[in-house]
Amino acid sequence: MSEANTTQTEDASQRTTDDAGGAIGGSAGRTTTGESEERIEDHWRNYEFAGEPKLSVEDLDVYYGEEQALQSVSMEIPEESVTALIGPSGCGKSTYLRCLNRMNDRIKSARVDGSVQLEGEELYQDGVDLVELRRRIGMVFQSPNPFPKSIRDNVSYGPRKHGDISTGLLPKLLGRDDTEQREELVERCLRQAALWEEVQDRLDDNALGLSGGQQQRLCIARCLAVDPDVILMDEPASALDPIATAKIEDLIEELAEEYTVVVVTHNMQQAARISDQTAVFLTGGELVEYGETDQVFEDPESQRVEDYISGKFG
Amino acid sequence: MSTIDDTGVVAGVARLRNATTLPTMALSLLTVLMGWLVLFQQVGETNEYLGLPIVELFAISVLVQGLAIGGLGVASYVGALQSTSDRTAGLFTGAFVGSLWAVVTAVLVTVVAGLRMVYWPGSSVWIFSGIPVPLGILLSLLGGVVGFLAVVLPREDLGATLPVSALLVPLGMFALVGPLTVPWTYEPGWTTVVFPGSEVLPFAFFVTSLLGCWTLAKISEGFGATGRQRGAYYLIGVSVAATLGVLGMLVYFIVDKGFATLSTGASFDGWGGRLVLPVVDWAVPWFDANLPFVFNQPGGLFVDVPGVWPAILGTIWLVIGALVVAVPLGIGAAIFLTEYVERGRITQLVEVVTNGLWSTPSIVFGLFGMAFLMPRLSNGGRSMIVAQLVLGFMLLPLVLITSREAIISVPDEYRDASAALGVSRWKTVRSVVLPAAMPGVITGVILGVGRIAGETAPLLLVFGGQPYPSTKSPVSGGKGILESFSFSLQPPFITNSALTERGTALPFQLYTSITAGSSPKPEVFSLSEFGWGTALVLLLVVMGFFAIGVASRLYFRRKLNYE
Repeated sequence: MSEANTTQTEDASQRTTDDAGGAIGGSAGRTTTGESEERIEDHWRNYEFAGEPKLSVEDLDVYYGEEQALQSVSMEIPEESVTALIGPSGCGKSTYLRCLNRMNDRIKSARVDGSVQLEGEELYQDGVDLVELRRRIGMVFQSPNPFPKSIRDNVSYGPRKHGDISTGLLPKLLGRDDTEQREELVERCLRQAALWEEVQDRLDDNALGLSGGQQQRLCIARCLAVDPDVILMDEPASALDPIATAKIEDLIEELAEEYTVVVVTHNMQQAARISDQTAVFLTGGELVEYGETDQVFEDPESQRVEDYISGKFG
Repeated sequence: MSTIDDTGVVAGVARLRNATTLPTMALSLLTVLMGWLVLFQQVGETNEYLGLPIVELFAISVLVQGLAIGGLGVASYVGALQSTSDRTAGLFTGAFVGSLWAVVTAVLVTVVAGLRMVYWPGSSVWIFSGIPVPLGILLSLLGGVVGFLAVVLPREDLGATLPVSALLVPLGMFALVGPLTVPWTYEPGWTTVVFPGSEVLPFAFFVTSLLGCWTLAKISEGFGATGRQRGAYYLIGVSVAATLGVLGMLVYFIVDKGFATLSTGASFDGWGGRLVLPVVDWAVPWFDANLPFVFNQPGGLFVDVPGVWPAILGTIWLVIGALVVAVPLGIGAAIFLTEYVERGRITQLVEVVTNGLWSTPSIVFGLFGMAFLMPRLSNGGRSMIVAQLVLGFMLLPLVLITSREAIISVPDEYRDASAALGVSRWKTVRSVVLPAAMPGVITGVILGVGRIAGETAPLLLVFGGQPYPSTKSPVSGGKGILESFSFSLQPPFITNSALTERGTALPFQLYTSITAGSSPKPEVFSLSEFGWGTALVLLLVVMGFFAIGVASRLYFRRKLNYE
């Protein structure tokens, strides 16, 4: 008992010394909040990859009223991969994510400057069909938000509202009943979201009766049902317990074989586990470093990124 | 604490406390209930139970409560009763008991000393900087302050008990040995009002027993925070019971008075009658039953039992028409205000205006219908359609307010989720927001229907026809509303002659029969019999609407919530 205590104390003192050393070492350009005069080099953010980018963002500025939330962010996102966005609270990573499918349009005070292109097509221009855009770029939110409807209706919601699937009395009378297609779609999407085994016997039950992790996977299935190219996820596992989180992480890795996944996370281990490339945002809405995940985590170029990843602030 | 509780002595004391308080509380609750019933003349004040007049039983009950409360309070103070008493009984208890002391003092000084409670030349006054203050008021206030201080100043186990006991014990004694008996009347002297003992005494027993029950509940948990919690629980419980009691008494009163009328000539001979379905004219098997007061018209040569069928139909048609006007408009406006307009000046203005409209007196709506709608829609005459519109306008603000609240309370996550799937705003509203808001919307509609179904004032101005029609139709032309639609090639293309005629409805019929002063067939029903019967039917019709509303709300709620 006393021995273990001693060991712990030693460990703690060891860490204190480390911290002190780090503070001295990094005192040149860093305060405790992570703000600094450190200059961001362009090559820290230039991530070279093979093939065409799925999404490319150039000089993106976002303002909420007077406050600037994102400062001139440029980055290119490769297809069929997982891109993680990490950074401390309030660094603009969620804002950035919401720019990619123009969900920021729903916030009245938000103003967006710059360019976002999906396969070379500009998203921020007049005449962009938001319906079509959001069908191609789906989104999963932080807290699971299924509709208060049956599981089946939740999954088939998008296609039904887009008119791709019509069921019910009127289509039946007109002889255009898509019940079969709907059943196939529901099964396919739930299988893709690794939820089919758990809910196949109760598709008519209300989705609010599922557990948190199941609800989040249902939300992913609902998103898959409109057949997007890109799936944006805003801290999809932050409200879930470790087991549900592990399931979501496995699912994200599987989805990356077919879809381009961009995921915002608070959890750096999670980012390291699931992502192919990682972008680090720091306070002030700046993209500081963007590169292959292993490289960013093992040998970051920026001192601030290293401090953040090693847990010295944030 | 827990170790002390486990010792035999303290457990014995707690048992003693419960053994005293619980039966006494039951006694005080019974007194509250019986006092209530006597006050509303459901039990005679001279009845005898157990060989004693009920007033003497009340007196004994109050005396027992007062002695128990005082005794337990003192026992707790001297340490014979385990309790966790606070330092004071609190301001609320003080104000409550103090105001009772003020009332009792006022009664005493007016009866004993003949003082006045209002200023009158020649009465005893105290001049306070030139203003004459009647001595009665002054003494009464003094009594209140003394009572308040007696509650607030001592430790809780004395302050919460002795001032209460000082009210209960004298009341019980004077009621037992006189002079507070049923023939006694309270004549204050300075006013001509006379309060008979048969009203004053049950009221006094009711209030004091309520106080006694509250105090005993506090004692039973040994004062302190837990005691107050228990006391509040009983006080709230009794208030809820009293509310339900008023409602129950009202319903009972109407049913009691109206049932004989409703069942006059009624018969039920089981299965074997036939019912001819409207429109298709098929006869289907039906009950062989008869309920003439409901299904007959009030007037006519061949009607042996006059009934209220036209008025029932009239009320139903009015409600349907008002719903058709108000529900789509109200929900539509609520959707517009919450989903399409930024919250700001305009929505605030609309909110204020709708709240104002909802509290506008109904006769004003009636006047509007009379001055604006009648000349335009029915050639200046009263009519069904104008009444439907006026009631619809009255219903509109409530539907708007409640729908808006219900839509605002739908979580934004649903809207975000739907938008992220690329679903347009209107489709989102229709398939996610509205279903989620539906139970709230329906609650508002139910409340509104309850109001407009019983509305009389505007109907007097825009609807009322002859009080006792001799046809089964609610409108005076005698034609059914559904059959009266006719189509033409000239504008306005659809006309309905029945809708532009005056008619009758239940509350209107009730009012006209009272003002007319005669029943349609005095040899069958007296005026009041006919009136109570109509009131009962009105109650049943409104309850029918409620039942439909509650059922649909349940349906939507069940659809939303998982079970």
